[in-house]
Amino acid sequence: MIKPRNFIAIPNRQSGFTLLEVIVALTITAMVLGSLFSLAAGSKQLAFRSDQSLHRAIQARAVVNFALLEDEYSEVEQAIDNDRFSIRAEQPLDPVPRKTEALAYKLQDYAVIDERNDERIEGTRWLRLELAE
Amino acid sequence: MKRQSGFTLIEVILSLALTAMLLSLLSTGMYSVMNDWENDTKALDETLDETVAILQLERALQGAFPHSFRDEESLSRFVYFEGDSEVLTWVSTVSPQRSGGLTAWYLESDDQDGVSLRLAGAMSDNPTSRLENAEPRILLPNYTATFSYLYEELDFSKQWSDDWSARALFTLPLAVHVRLTPIDPDADREDELDIIARIRANTHRSLRPAFGGSPSVGTGFSPSPQLGGQ
Repeated sequence: MIKPRNFIAIPNRQSGFTLLEVIVALTITAMVLGSLFSLAAGSKQLAFRSDQSLHRAIQARAVVNFALLEDEYSEVEQAIDNDRFSIRAEQPLDPVPRKTEALAYKLQDYAVIDERNDERIEGTRWLRLELAE
Repeated sequence: MKRQSGFTLIEVILSLALTAMLLSLLSTGMYSVMNDWENDTKALDETLDETVAILQLERALQGAFPHSFRDEESLSRFVYFEGDSEVLTWVSTVSPQRSGGLTAWYLESDDQDGVSLRLAGAMSDNPTSRLENAEPRILLPNYTATFSYLYEELDFSKQWSDDWSARALFTLPLAVHVRLTPIDPDADREDELDIIARIRANTHRSLRPAFGGSPSVGTGFSPSPQLGGQ
């Protein structure tokens, strides 16, 4: 039997992709698409979280402003109806050792505590004394 | 031997159908992702706007000024600061347009439209008519506001009151509290926001309403030291 010279030129096999090639291509596509989607999901979460923390910052700001209102010897009627933040007043700071005149004010530390995650915002306020010392 | 010279019809149809299915799946997926994205950026934008508006309001309330004007009928001087639980109008040293001089602010809370704002320059007269002509702008579309005002009782305890008329009281309140409640009925108490602004003019040593002739009808609040960086 004589083989024809141009045997190779005649395609008698159906040429196409092998299974392996298809699988590799699909995997790469899936990975690219997956990373794209996870990127979108991540930025969505980021947007949501920054939304939340903006609200929380506004709420905390109001509480701090309220804490600064309470700087006199008498009580201020509660205004913020919010069980998330609480104001804790510390002991007033020690008076200065040498006074040249009577002091009507004392410094007092206070802390605003976020009950959810135990974050503290600390500050100092003037406390008006009932009697000058 | 018959040579195959292309795809059969069935193959073409099958592959087209598969491609179409894949594409439609992908595009619906993309669509929902883009939609989500749009919603999120919109919500974030709105919250940013709200935050800026709230901070601006807080500053404007802190900078409230005991602006006094001569009433044309009675010829007596009055301080301009009138508020009840839904409407508040006052004169502030803060102006959002950075225009010079004092600015009169008029805030109104509506159950549907949210909080709207009008601004007008505070000349030496009563700014009410100019405020009425000013174009109202929606400041916080998603919230209703409830105002209350801090005053000092005779026993030095401090209470919040629902209204304040400087026409009758001749002075500014110690502080203003604005509670912002979301209009959205699904929102819960966690979403409420508050603004608390101490009015700084009260702690100023020499800033008092100008009353022609009668010296100290004024406030009786002793000056207290100011903390920097509140």
